[in-house]
Amino acid sequence: MMPQLVTARVKRPDGRPIRIWVPVLPVVLVFSPVLVLAVLVAAVACLVYRVSAMRALGTGWRIVSALPGTRVDVEQGRTAVLVTIR
Amino acid sequence: MNEQRKDILDMLAEGKITAEEAEQLIAALERDQPPAAASLDARPKGKAKYLRVVVDTLENGEPGRVNVRVPLQLLRAGVRLAALIPPQALGKANAELNKSGVPFDLTQLKPEQLETLVEHLDEMTVEVDQPDAKVRVFCE
Repeated sequence: MMPQLVTARVKRPDGRPIRIWVPVLPVVLVFSPVLVLAVLVAAVACLVYRVSAMRALGTGWRIVSALPGTRVDVEQGRTAVLVTIR
Repeated sequence: MNEQRKDILDMLAEGKITAEEAEQLIAALERDQPPAAASLDARPKGKAKYLRVVVDTLENGEPGRVNVRVPLQLLRAGVRLAALIPPQALGKANAELNKSGVPFDLTQLKPEQLETLVEHLDEMTVEVDQPDAKVRVFCE
């Protein structure tokens, strides 16, 4: 299943947190023209390096769909960054 | 209560054996019991879903913490990605590894071997303890 929401929380040294919620599907739709171009460039690169484009596409999709559940939490002193993918 | 213990107690009740004999028989029965149940309870065996990397540091008196949770499914997908690396890139990587003193042939690494490796990651725990840092890698 494709990621649906990316959450980022940044705690600044002054203690004030910033929270950002990024809904993935609307962002993908907005950037879809760029995404199509990127897929085309990737397909050409696959042809140049003699890699199966379909296999590469499938693997890319598997990676994207395996992302939900990822969580990265970094704290240093009074600064902290937390990124979660749901 | 298991069947053999019940038989021993029945024989004691019927007066076929004495209390001392019953005690000896029960003790012998307990010696023969495999300790499997206890070891299974100590570590519940479930299918691990995530790889966790936890790093606790102490830099200039300031505590730091890195806590990363990666789905094992992502590792499996990444392993499949490695299978797509063109042979010429693997050759270059091999040459660089050799130069760095790591004589490792990446072309010999098969995706199914990597899959098996990921499958058995849930049994792995790595702990590194240093005075100013502690690293733990495990699956949950």
